[in-house]
Amino acid sequence: MTDLFLKTEDLGRLIASVRDGGARFIAPSTDARQTAFKEVSGADEVVSDYILATNSYKEFLFPQTEVISTHKVMKDSVELKGVELEAQGTVIFGARPCEAASLAALGAVFTWDFVDEFYTKREADTVVIAVACTRGDDACFCTTVGLSPDATAGVDVMFKEADGGWAVARLTDKGSTFVEKHKDVFEKTACAPKPLFYPEKIKGVDVEKIKERLSNKGHYEDPVWPELARKCIGCGACTFTCPTCHCFDIIDEGTAYEGERRKNWDACQFDHFTLHASGHNPRDTQYKRWRNRFMCKFKFYPDKFSSKGCVGCGRCIRVCPVRLDITEVMEEMSKLP
Amino acid sequence: MENALRKKARELLQNGEVKVVIGYGFNRRGTHVTPVFITKPEDVDRLVFNPRCVNNLSVYLTRKFKDIRAIGRPAIVAKGCDIKNIVVLIAEAQLKREDVYIIGMACNGMVYRQELWKGELKPEIMPTKCHNCDVRYPHLYDCVIGDKPAFVPPDKPVGMVFDKIKALDKMDSSGRWAFWVEEFSRCIKCYACRQVCSLCYCERCITEKNMPQWIETSAHPKGNLSWNLTRAMHLAGRCTFCGECERSCPVNIPLNLVNKKLIQVTEEAFDFRSGYDEKAHPPMIVFSPDDKENFIK
Repeated sequence: MTDLFLKTEDLGRLIASVRDGGARFIAPSTDARQTAFKEVSGADEVVSDYILATNSYKEFLFPQTEVISTHKVMKDSVELKGVELEAQGTVIFGARPCEAASLAALGAVFTWDFVDEFYTKREADTVVIAVACTRGDDACFCTTVGLSPDATAGVDVMFKEADGGWAVARLTDKGSTFVEKHKDVFEKTACAPKPLFYPEKIKGVDVEKIKERLSNKGHYEDPVWPELARKCIGCGACTFTCPTCHCFDIIDEGTAYEGERRKNWDACQFDHFTLHASGHNPRDTQYKRWRNRFMCKFKFYPDKFSSKGCVGCGRCIRVCPVRLDITEVMEEMSKLP
Repeated sequence: MENALRKKARELLQNGEVKVVIGYGFNRRGTHVTPVFITKPEDVDRLVFNPRCVNNLSVYLTRKFKDIRAIGRPAIVAKGCDIKNIVVLIAEAQLKREDVYIIGMACNGMVYRQELWKGELKPEIMPTKCHNCDVRYPHLYDCVIGDKPAFVPPDKPVGMVFDKIKALDKMDSSGRWAFWVEEFSRCIKCYACRQVCSLCYCERCITEKNMPQWIETSAHPKGNLSWNLTRAMHLAGRCTFCGECERSCPVNIPLNLVNKKLIQVTEEAFDFRSGYDEKAHPPMIVFSPDDKENFIK
């Protein structure tokens, strides 16, 4: 239902109302260096003239680093303690519809064979308010992967920019409950939203054809891979800003007597990601690692979870130090053998 | 200039002197300049040179890139600042001078980031290194493309990086500490700074050595600080201020401040500037009886 309206000046009231209820309010905020999702305490910290925040909001559901257990070695015993997570209610404001669609991808992997409560507990208590896109840039490609600037997947409440505020639509039960809880700040007026920014669909790219080509085993060793990924320098900027990348590493930190076990983001682009204890590395050169990331997005993921591995937000293109553009590879891979 | 570059590249590939030309070209949509690897003479027209050729391609000469080394002897399109890194690679025995054909480019400055390019190279969109550049005409090369630029660097270095270092130097140590803890708190440990750096050529970085784990790999304040300090220390006396790490940082940590300060300190202490002489070893790896520090004697 899109019969509600939030006045620009009432955003502060919404933030206060959310925070009074004990939840954190996450929104894009600009400091001296960048526009990024962070916890805000007032409307003056929230920006609206952004395309996408530098970080994806996944870090509020799946932090870069978190303690999952602690250990202590004593004279004749060892004390192990698991961490019982008590998730804080979280409202994500200003997500773009593309990245909101990534929630399905994260949820699928964290509940697949083992329910990762560190993720599910946080997700259960998170409300996603997306703001439909009225601006974009040449790295945006949501329309090419079947999404749009007002796609609804993963969105609880959709805001659309309008004169003097936002038109508000409740899309899920979670969203309805949220709006009901803070109903005093919304007005019951319908209004016309501003026109949206639709990135041009990239010619010659077809996600289905990509999957078909990647399914052909003969193409795994296609000589085009080393060429396409030759310039990749093997950093983790793409994976760490990607809203659907979810790989993590478990490490122990501390002294010989006590310490903690942590779950840290990891990236398939790092050369030691698949390094075996024997010294063997099945992905021993960079193009194999890059190929893996691409196949994860367009083959493994859709096959296993029937959800999107890539949502077309374009962050990986924007942050890449060598401008390795995933859409160029998509174009190449759309050509059936 | 581009025609001369393409002509040279074609010639080198045709006569077999090199197997690959590492240079700059446009991406498919023509919106950005990106590294290209030309292996066939008929592809040389892809090569471009303009103020958006910001990448320091010398990283592709390091042993991190086995696939590129496997192609054969490379020629590299390099600006003076990029050549400084090649000089260090030679000085540190990572490369023999004859292993690479350097196509030096006379340069009138680059943009700080490609996104700033609006069709004209204005001083305010150029990085500090360009404002003080003394190698706009290359200093080590096999050939040079372009005429000698008229630019003369100022006597006293100018630019935002120097202004900020002065401001930081004026702070007390707790103020500086707070500044850096805040900046490093954003670090996501993507290691783009390390991967893009041609002088970070270790096949196994100390952060990846986990028996024992020397550096905490978690992206918490302590882990971030230890990574960023380690990176800085490992580049002391070696860094040439090419600025690639800061350009690549997805969370905009002002690494140029760290790098330039290190350069100032090593220059003052050892009277050494990295990247100018391929026969001179960096001060941190040599012992000299003339060393003015006497604590060790």
